[in-house]
Amino acid sequence: MIRRLETDVVVLGAGPAGLAAACSAMEAGARVVVVEREERTGGILKQCIHDGFGLLRYGRQLSGPEYALRDADRFGSLGGRAMLEAFVTSASRLEAGGFELACVDRGGAFLLRSAALVLATGCRERTDRQVFVHGDRPAGVFTAGLAQYMINVQGLLPGRRAVILGSGDIGLIMARRMTLEGMEVIGAYEAKPEPSGLSRNLRQCLDDYGIPLALSSTVTAVHGGRRVEGVTTARVDGAMRPIPGTERDLSCDTLVLSVGLIPENELAKSLGVPLDPRTRGPRVDQNMHTLVDGVFACGNAVHVNDLADYVSESGERAGSSAAAYALAGPGSPSRVRRLSPLSAGPGCLYVVPQLLDLAALADVARADDVCLYFRSSSTMASGAVARLAAGDAPGAGGATLLERRYRALRPPEMERIKAPAGSLAVGPARPAEPGPGASLIVEPIEPEDR
Amino acid sequence: MLVIPRKQAVESPSSSDEEPIRSEAVSRPDASRLVGRLGASLRSRFGDSVEASVDRGSIRLEGEAPSYDDKVSAGWLAARYGFKGVVNDIRAPGEADERLEPRGAADSSLDGSYYDVAIVGGGVIGAAIARELTRWDLSILLLEKESDVAAHTSSRNDGMIHDGFAAKPGSKKAAYNVRGNRLWEPLCRELGLDFKRPGSLVLFRTAAAAALYPAMAARARRNGVDGWEFWSRARVAAEEPNVTADQRGAFFLPSAGVLSPYRATVALAENAAMNGARVALGACVLGMELDGGSITALRTNKGSVRAGVVVNAAGNWADVVAGMAGDRFFSLHQRRGTDMILDAETASAQRHILGMPRLLQLHSKTKGGGLVLTVEGNVLVGPTATESPGREDYATKPEELDRLTRHLRLNTALSMAQGITYFSGVRPCTYEEDFIVERSERVTNLVHAAGIQSPGLASAPAIAQDVAAMVVEAAGRFRRVAPRAGWRAGRAAPPEPRRLGIEARDALIAGNPAYGRVVCRCEEVSEGEIVDAIRSIVPATDLDAIKRRTRAGMGRCHGGFCTPRVMELVARETGLPAWAVTKKGPGSELCVGPTKAGPRRSRGDAAARGDASGGAS
Repeated sequence: MIRRLETDVVVLGAGPAGLAAACSAMEAGARVVVVEREERTGGILKQCIHDGFGLLRYGRQLSGPEYALRDADRFGSLGGRAMLEAFVTSASRLEAGGFELACVDRGGAFLLRSAALVLATGCRERTDRQVFVHGDRPAGVFTAGLAQYMINVQGLLPGRRAVILGSGDIGLIMARRMTLEGMEVIGAYEAKPEPSGLSRNLRQCLDDYGIPLALSSTVTAVHGGRRVEGVTTARVDGAMRPIPGTERDLSCDTLVLSVGLIPENELAKSLGVPLDPRTRGPRVDQNMHTLVDGVFACGNAVHVNDLADYVSESGERAGSSAAAYALAGPGSPSRVRRLSPLSAGPGCLYVVPQLLDLAALADVARADDVCLYFRSSSTMASGAVARLAAGDAPGAGGATLLERRYRALRPPEMERIKAPAGSLAVGPARPAEPGPGASLIVEPIEPEDR
Repeated sequence: MLVIPRKQAVESPSSSDEEPIRSEAVSRPDASRLVGRLGASLRSRFGDSVEASVDRGSIRLEGEAPSYDDKVSAGWLAARYGFKGVVNDIRAPGEADERLEPRGAADSSLDGSYYDVAIVGGGVIGAAIARELTRWDLSILLLEKESDVAAHTSSRNDGMIHDGFAAKPGSKKAAYNVRGNRLWEPLCRELGLDFKRPGSLVLFRTAAAAALYPAMAARARRNGVDGWEFWSRARVAAEEPNVTADQRGAFFLPSAGVLSPYRATVALAENAAMNGARVALGACVLGMELDGGSITALRTNKGSVRAGVVVNAAGNWADVVAGMAGDRFFSLHQRRGTDMILDAETASAQRHILGMPRLLQLHSKTKGGGLVLTVEGNVLVGPTATESPGREDYATKPEELDRLTRHLRLNTALSMAQGITYFSGVRPCTYEEDFIVERSERVTNLVHAAGIQSPGLASAPAIAQDVAAMVVEAAGRFRRVAPRAGWRAGRAAPPEPRRLGIEARDALIAGNPAYGRVVCRCEEVSEGEIVDAIRSIVPATDLDAIKRRTRAGMGRCHGGFCTPRVMELVARETGLPAWAVTKKGPGSELCVGPTKAGPRRSRGDAAARGDASGGAS
């Protein structure tokens, strides 16, 4: 007999987003099942033995495993249980509402039904071939996360002499980690004219160890047929194309890639959840509710965050919202959303949420502060103003709903605005998008304006 | 590989040049006259730097060419003179000094052994021959220098089972392709392999191209192709909804099929092994001992092996292996092809194999590539075709991808952003651009299956039948050969839980919980499947081998998540330390050793498992 389980909320993934969602859903009174494909909870934090986690959430610097342990302790104290080494093979929406997931674990296949679903599936790393590194396919080419897992979890040394392509945070952290393990890190190469990682990581992981970072430079080819023997680097032009004549061959046995992360949304796609082409994650409202009723999403599955604290924050919101949705039951008026678009205006790379549920905002009992997460589309070194304007058209000159000033903005550093619900009164509640909505506009402040 | 690309980097001078100058075997008085003419022709192109001579029935070219393309052109030119073969010893810039070398350390595991048949090369041809030969009560040894079968050309192609239309009428390619196409489907059934016949649409770019339909039909008829049809523009659009609007109908070839070329090779080798053949992996032939016109023994890195009959199925090294037997009557040149694999989400975007030859010339050597459906569903873009030195040079180049983007426009639903990875393969080509499937004229107990370029995969079962017959005939000279008792045509394919219904999957897991632990998330591959591959009768012990068998690491994250888990399974099953696990055999170790803190405790250790899973069972 196939096992059948039924619950209020199913959370997919037990990393920081999923555990936060599970805890907040349980605290809201919902029955929760967490499905995790690995043998332990904690997600990618398990391999992040460096510190820097928890400053916002706990007011102190924790390592990844320490941060994960706090989530696990809270989850455990609430009586939560994760189904470990369990894998969702397919998901479907039920006619009568709710969802059915087909899953497997070591005990067999089983069916899991719930009223609400929280996708906390994280992200994956872009690979060498996706950034068009050429050559054969020798051993010794690793994504930064894979190298991190090998060193920190498996205790295996991936090579002796490494080149890093990309300046994403994991790559920077791995530059330091590999150096500490006695590897020689020749340098990091970033195709963009500016680094992709956080400033603190550039200082603490490269500068402190004398590892050079070459900007507007990339790795074009890997040499070696069996194990990496070297790479070719080249400078790139404004369109990120290699400039002929600038090639340089470097001898190394390892190439570590930190060239971007892609939200994992295969399950979301199979459920028909619309994605935002900029974030590559589901479009969500302020309650992390996707455009498919009952499907919530949080953490790096929605957009790639640079701080685990924000991942947890979005998980908390997704979990409590999913619980409220599940417990309200079919036909409840609180399930009726009135969605209005919130779009990324000029100067804004993206903004999450992409939608505002005006019904929830108008409901005094439910209205809560709204977290807006955004990145600027370019570096604004001398300061910037982020302005939420009514109206959806780019460059809309609608009324300013709120405004925040920044000393500087860089695309790698995500910003978060916590806006009181009342400040987002974007006009009369409309039935659905497209509506007049709002857009987030980010404008640089010229030095003389400061 | 919709149509078989012959040469692309080097344009042939004109179509009349393609015709052979001599089509029958060259007689002795003719030979010197023809060499004289060839010499004059070569001098007009290369000056005095290239010379031709006749060497035991073959043309031998020597000297220096300004480029590899020129060297190949000289070979093609010589091939038109109707000699036994072309031995092209011209040196060209960019050619590396390549040697047939073993990958790992030597041992004596084969030393002193005897086999009725020794097959050199564990690609699809060698594996198919081995399997075919197990129908007979012969002792069979399959020698493969890599750590797995299908490590080279047999895993570096698009898996297309061509219809046979593109092959030159009257060629061995045409005959073997059409026969092989018919054989693959029942063979796949026996071996538990997927086979699909989506059919191939050769799209017409212009009305003028469409007008060539009668000529195309005539060629298909001459080659014995199993069916063809003219499809109007509207029909193409209806049956292939995402097709480019820029088409004027198509030549439809319903017999074109697809399979997994590496899985097929593995299945053939496994079935051969089940029927008693010995598959020696990591066994490289280094030389041969001859006595009175026969091979007596093969020198390998695993010792000396005596053999009754030797089969040369050495792929891109077949000319070198022929040379070891003193029978180097041909040379191979290398035509590299690059393919790009698109994400599995493209599976629903296309129904047929699509191609649109740039200029539809029936006798052109410049044909196309296109969009091939893989048997798993993903669309594969390619291949390119570039003459390029390097028998095992699989380094891709940026310009090859630029060429591939051209094909993408045939399907409006596809984009380069869906690319997961791209790879190159090398086609072993003779200068006659045809297969060599024959008993050696000089060595009594040697059979060649050489120059098996595209459509070699499609042709493999037919080639194997003929080679097996030649081997049986040769073996008949020293022993009586009878059918093997208890021969089993079938192979129980290892289970693939992702393809089972929920009840069957549950039952499978109940029998072995490892089938319930998903290791590769993108392709949904379980621990049980990986262990099956490692424990196979032809064991997969490196990551690439496991990837080919199970698809673990083949998906969109390309091994980012499952690599450590697969390494741990290999380490557990083989007893190797995890850092010594390789990507593709010796010399491709994934790690160099432990970190300062040393390797972690093995999985399953209660303390290691419990530390961060608060509350979890």
